[in-house]
Parts: sequence; C-alpha cells; structure tokens
Amino acid sequence: MASGRKNRSHKSSSTIQMTAGGSAAAVQQVQSSLQPLLFPLLLAAALFTVSMNPRIQQNLVLTWSFWAAALFIMAWLGVLFASLRQSGASRSFEIVLRPQHYIQAMVQCSLFLYWGYYWQPVYAHLWLLVGQLLFAYSFDILLAWSRRESYTLGFGPIPIIFSINLFLWFRDDWFYMQFLMIGAGFMGKEFVRWQRDGRRVHIFNPSAFALGLFSVVLIATGTTNLTWGREIASTLTLAPNIYTFLFILGLVVMYFFSITLVAGTAAIVLFGLSALYSATTGVPYFIDSEIPAAVFLGLHLLITDPSTSPRTPLGKLAFGALYGLGVFGLYSLLGVLGVPTFYDKLLCVPLLNLSVIAIDRAVNSINNVGLVNVWNSHWQRIRPNLVHMAIWIVVFGTMSLLGKTDGRHTGDSVPFWQQACADGLSNSCSRLLQLESTYCGDNSAWACNELGIHYLEGRIVEPDQDLAMGYLSRACELKFQAGCVNLLEPSEVAHGNPRELDLRLMLRQGGLNLMEMPTRDLYSRACEHGWEFACDSLVASL
Amino acid sequence: MTTDRNGPAGGGAEAGKASQPAQQRGARIGFVILAVLVTFVALWMQIQGRRALTVPGNQALATATEKVAGFQADFLQLPDDPLLGMVEIPAGEFLMGSDPSVDRQAYENERWSATQRQGTVTLPDYYIGRFEVTVGQYAAFVQATGHAYLPSALSANPDYPVANVTWTDALAYCRWLQNQLLDSERTPTGLRELLRAGWTVTLPTEAEWEKAARGSDGRLYPWGNRLQEGFANFGSSASRPVGSYDCPDCSYGLSDMSGNVWELTRSPLQPYPYSSKDDFDSLDGDALWVMRGGSYADGPANIRAAVRGGVDPGVRNDTIGFRLVLTGP
Repeated sequence: MASGRKNRSHKSSSTIQMTAGGSAAAVQQVQSSLQPLLFPLLLAAALFTVSMNPRIQQNLVLTWSFWAAALFIMAWLGVLFASLRQSGASRSFEIVLRPQHYIQAMVQCSLFLYWGYYWQPVYAHLWLLVGQLLFAYSFDILLAWSRRESYTLGFGPIPIIFSINLFLWFRDDWFYMQFLMIGAGFMGKEFVRWQRDGRRVHIFNPSAFALGLFSVVLIATGTTNLTWGREIASTLTLAPNIYTFLFILGLVVMYFFSITLVAGTAAIVLFGLSALYSATTGVPYFIDSEIPAAVFLGLHLLITDPSTSPRTPLGKLAFGALYGLGVFGLYSLLGVLGVPTFYDKLLCVPLLNLSVIAIDRAVNSINNVGLVNVWNSHWQRIRPNLVHMAIWIVVFGTMSLLGKTDGRHTGDSVPFWQQACADGLSNSCSRLLQLESTYCGDNSAWACNELGIHYLEGRIVEPDQDLAMGYLSRACELKFQAGCVNLLEPSEVAHGNPRELDLRLMLRQGGLNLMEMPTRDLYSRACEHGWEFACDSLVASL
Repeated sequence: MTTDRNGPAGGGAEAGKASQPAQQRGARIGFVILAVLVTFVALWMQIQGRRALTVPGNQALATATEKVAGFQADFLQLPDDPLLGMVEIPAGEFLMGSDPSVDRQAYENERWSATQRQGTVTLPDYYIGRFEVTVGQYAAFVQATGHAYLPSALSANPDYPVANVTWTDALAYCRWLQNQLLDSERTPTGLRELLRAGWTVTLPTEAEWEKAARGSDGRLYPWGNRLQEGFANFGSSASRPVGSYDCPDCSYGLSDMSGNVWELTRSPLQPYPYSSKDDFDSLDGDALWVMRGGSYADGPANIRAAVRGGVDPGVRNDTIGFRLVLTGP
C-alpha cells in the first residue's frame, strides 16, 4: 500500500525512439500508480455515452450490446483496481506512436470514406466503429495491465478495428458478437505467441485471427446472414475505380513498409491463375472480376502486417504467392461446399501466419536477397522496394490497360453464363446459380424467379421443391408476376424478362451505381451485356 | 507458445523470475478463456441461426395445441365437421360484377365491360371453407414447418382469423395442408378421394369467392341486398373470432364473407370481364392480386360481395387474411 501511494505522483518524459523496423516512433513515458486506471474508466464512460446516440438507440439489442460492453470493461476495471490496491502494485503507460499503425489507419480511413460515399451503410456504421474503437482500447489496456505493469499506448488498436470492419461486421441484432470478435482478436494477440528471431511475438495478425476464427464459426453454424459479410464483399465495387483507388492506397503502404513483394506477388499469382483458368476453360474463374475487389483489398491490407509475415525477400515472395494460391483454391472449395465464397480471403491468412517461420527457414538456404534483388549489382543506390514497386506499377498498369481491373468483366454478364451453361462449359452452371443467388439476395426478383425455376426443374441443379418455392415466393413478394404464377402453377413454368430494377441491380458491371441511370442508357447497357430483349426494346423505341 | 513478452508487473528482474510461473499460468488461463469464448460463440450462433427471422416460439406451439370449441386441437385445428369445414358450392352460373342502378356504392372496377354492367359466369362444382383460416390452423402449419412468420400473425387467440400473412404465405399454407390431408388417416374419406383425384387445396379465384359470397341470385351482401348490423364485423376496431356472427340467411351458410378480414384470392387484379382462364401470359406488370370481402376496419361500401381490392403479394397487414377452397382438376 505504502509504495502504491508513494508512486502516485506523475513523471513524464518525451523522446523519439527507433522501432525494431527502423521507422521512427514518438515515445512518451508516463509513470504512475493507479491513476492511469482512470483512462479505461473514461473510455468505458465514453462507450456508454456513445450508446445514447440515436443510431444505437434505434435497436434495443444494439443498445444493450454497448451497455454490456461498457459494464464488462467497468467490472474488469473494478476487479483490477481492487487487486492492485491489495498488492500495492502500480500501472503505467508508455506512449509509442508507430508509423505502421497511424499510416495504415489513415489509409483504411480514406477507404471507408470513399466506399461509404457510394454505399451508405458504411457511414451509418460510423458510431458503431467509434464504439468498437473505445472498447478495443479499453480491452487492450486492461488485458495488458492484468498481466504486466506497462501498456504501450499508441494507434495500434485502430488498424485492427478498421481491418476487421473492412471485411465483417455483425448486424444490429447480433452486434454483441462484434465485441466478442474484437476481444478474441486481442486475446489471440496476447496469448497465442511464439519465439521468433529471439523475441516472443504474436503469431497471428490480430484482425485476421479474429476474422478467421469467426469465419469458421459462421461457416460451421451456417449463420453468415447474421453479418454484413456478403454485402461488404460485394459493395466495394459500388465505388467507381475501386481497384485503382486500392492500388494507390497500396502504394502508400508499400512505400513505407516494404510490403510490395507480398502484395504484388499475391496479386500477380491471382491474375495469372485466373487468366490460365479462363484460357483453359473458356469461362472466367471469379464471377465479377479477375480478382474480386475485396480480395484485392485483403492482399494490400490484411496480409501485409510485417510482424506476422516473413522477413526475408524470398520469404515475402513465397508468402504472397501462397496467399494467391490459397485464395484461388479456397474460392473453389467454398463454392463446392456451398459456403459463401467471400470467406476465401480471410480463411487462409491465419494458416499463412502459422507458416512464416517455416517459410523463412525454407528460403534461408537460398541467397534470397540476391535472387529477388538481381539488379542490385548494377544499380547499387536504388532501394530494392522501389524497384519492386516499379514492377508492380507496370504490372497493374498493364492489367488495367487490358481491362482486367476496373473495366468490364465477362463474368458479370448473366446471359454469358446462361449461354456457357447451355454449352456445358466447366463450372458455368454452378456459377450461373451463384450469380443469380447473389442478385436474388440483392432483391432482383427476376434472379429469384430463375433460381426457383432451376430448383423446380432440376436440370442444372438437384431439384428441391422447398428451395424452389422459397425463391419463387421471394420473386413474387418482390412483385414479379412470373414468380407468383409459378407458385400457383409450378407445372407450367413461366419466365419473364428482367424489369428495370433488375437491370439496375444486375448490370453494375463491378462498379457503378445504376439507380439513377436513364432508362435508355440502361437498356443500351443491357444490350451490350447480351440481353436480347433489351436490344429489341431499343430497336422498337427508335 | 503462450508466455509473456514483458517482465512481471511492477517488479525487477528477480521478481520477474519469481513470478514467471504465475505469468505462464495466466497465459494458460487466457488461452482457456479464449477457447471457452469461441465455443460459446459457436453454440450461440447455432441457436441464433435457427432463430433467423422468427421461428415457431412457445406461443405458436401453445396455440397449435390449444383446444377451441368447434375445432379439432389434435388435427391441425381444422373445423370439427364431416368435411373439415368445407362447404360444397354446386356447379352453375351466377351474376358477377355490379349494376350501379341497383348498387349505388359500386366501384368502377366492378363494371363488366364498356357495354355491359354485369356478366354471367359458370363455375363447376367446388368447395369453400366455412370460416376464414384461423390463427390456430396457421400456428399448426408454422409449428410443423418452421415457416417464418411475424409475431403479430399469431398473437391473437386461436379462433381468430389469421392476418399479417402474405399472399405467398397463404399459398404455402395451402400446399402444406394439401399434403397433410393426403397423408393423414383422419382425413374424411370423401375429401381424401377428391384430393387423390387431383383436387387442390388453394385460394379461391375471385369468381369462386364471389359466387360463394352472393349466391346465384346476385345479392349485394351475403345475407341480401340491404346492409344489416349484426351479420358481419365491419366498421369496428378489431377482428373477431371466426363464425362469431350468426347469419342463417348468408349464402351457403358461410361465415364472415363480409368484413372481419379481407380474403386473398388467386386471381391477378385485371379489368373485367372475368375469364375462367386468367391471363397469366401478361407478366410484364407488377404483381397485384385480388382480395375480397372487406375487413373489420371498412365501411359498408367495402364489404359488398362484388368489391375488388388489390394487394401486393408481399404485403402483411392486420386486416388481410384468407380462406381456403377445394377446386377440381
């Protein structure tokens, strides 16, 4: 007790310290006894205050989720306070502002702003994001103080929370799961560690660990619909030129943290495999792009954490290549298992994190620096990362010129897949089902009706009367007359042409929001996509 | 794999050595908590997944097994009579639509054609439910199938007409009941034979509904041409249990053909003249289906036998329910 009281006075000093990675970090040490405990208390109070926001008050479960999170923090704080008073121990902060945290946070923040401008739920999610940040900070602080004297205060939790929310968030009625997911991420960071290069460090990227773990649970329990995961994965492309935007953001991160080999290799492998598949089978591998936008995001921001990826150049190269292969393989595997394919980019990251030591060890025998930086003997003064970046810029530029990024993609066209399915091309019928399922989920009544018919007829999929009736009911409730008629007379199947709203949903072509597009332009676009009725309609209107 | 990176709390190197086992124990406990957390999440998500929209709850369960006078609690809450509440409507013609010279409250969409006020329609023999489908009957369906429902659909007592169901919900109930009646040994023999011969349990067409409501003598209301209090639930604040009104003069002895809840039909809303072969080829417009009979919330004009309402197939409403028909192949 006596020493506790003695230490209650504040001492602080401010210095600039070089971090292990060589980048500059502002460090301020604050020593104290129990007074620092006021900080998480303030965070919990702020969390409670945020819960009073109308956005959170509009849903009772959401409000209670916030209150429960705040109460949990306060209870934990109370227990810690009592235990520290009894033992006379003290707690302190060390303020360390690491560039890899705040630069990544700024990059993620700009992505939220851009994406949210085109998909409003992101902005509606703002207060929930603030709540998660408050919870994450207080959880991280209390977890650290429960185990040691000092907590390193900086921007660390921000990229973790942003990263989680760029891929998955729970719907309001289950939002308490979001807090649990955050807790799991920080616990994984704290408790799942290994010895690497003489230091005990966490094995998993905290956000990827939480996302991976919860993805497995969501898949196993078939509860993906309790989250916004599917929408998040598909709405990134509502923002125009999203690939270029992500590419530019990626360059910022690449410049500062030398992650070009990881991200660039992953992208090149995915582009390559995708092209190879198309050349072999005649149909695209991914439905809506050469690399789905969310995967492109993942390879820039999810696998590039320096502390959970290999440190050697060749190791980074292998890590990126394995990520590309992993996503490519998982996409098919998940599709075969009937699981939403957007989990592909999340599930392989923890496995790759587990393999970094093995990767580094495997490439150690090779002269990896010399192999990856072959130009070094000629241009000694050029930073290797800049050369890697230059190569990546050329590759991405070429892909863009070939229309493989933000441009139109064959796989986005339903008539293409209908024809491919009719021609019996590889996997095309299952892709057609997948595409129609996505559009039906977006409330395209036409797509729901077509799906219902597939399950009713059983030509391209195992017949399932219940599923068929479910899709037809959905089509009908969306006021698609053919769907209603099919419900009444399932023996005489009725097809209908997509309505204007269906076209606006189905012709986004991996990017634009078509809700305001003039009808004539819409039909012209539909005609380009192979919708014959739209071409006829255009001709008739001349 | 689970030890700590930093020294122990508040101590020096020696204290650190002394408390290292405690730190390792703490890490192990943390690992266990993490495992418990994940297990809890998995189990909870499993439960939540089942809940999805709204699955049968205790109330539905209770309603489906509750005994109500005149209904069979142990047989899908169907009416306790030889044909399970189905009333035969003999084949023959009837007058459809409204003649404004007789019915001053007639709406424009009840006119047969530009040149004709009413039309004569001939229907074959069919059966129609004496009562509207009840909360108890619908609860039995929900309980058996897990069909999603709004809590308000099952919040009333089991003998009330079910409401807050969509057109597609109503059809799903019909399909389910058809299979139940085909499979059950308790189905009256005559009814089972009809079903085996290809008859279907479904919603009535608007012609089937109108003939059952006004008979073959062209009445304005099920009981005659004059509005009478005490024969139907209209102009009130809530629905009433089915068959609450004693109406001996009502066509075919049916209950609540006027008022209580609007009744969904399987006819698309389109201009008269009515054809027995509804035009299902015109699929371009938005779906809108005919509902008949008016509801407790309506005034006298809307509970006439010829009134035609239109409803989106996805709409759920306190005032909209349905009635069954058994129709030939």
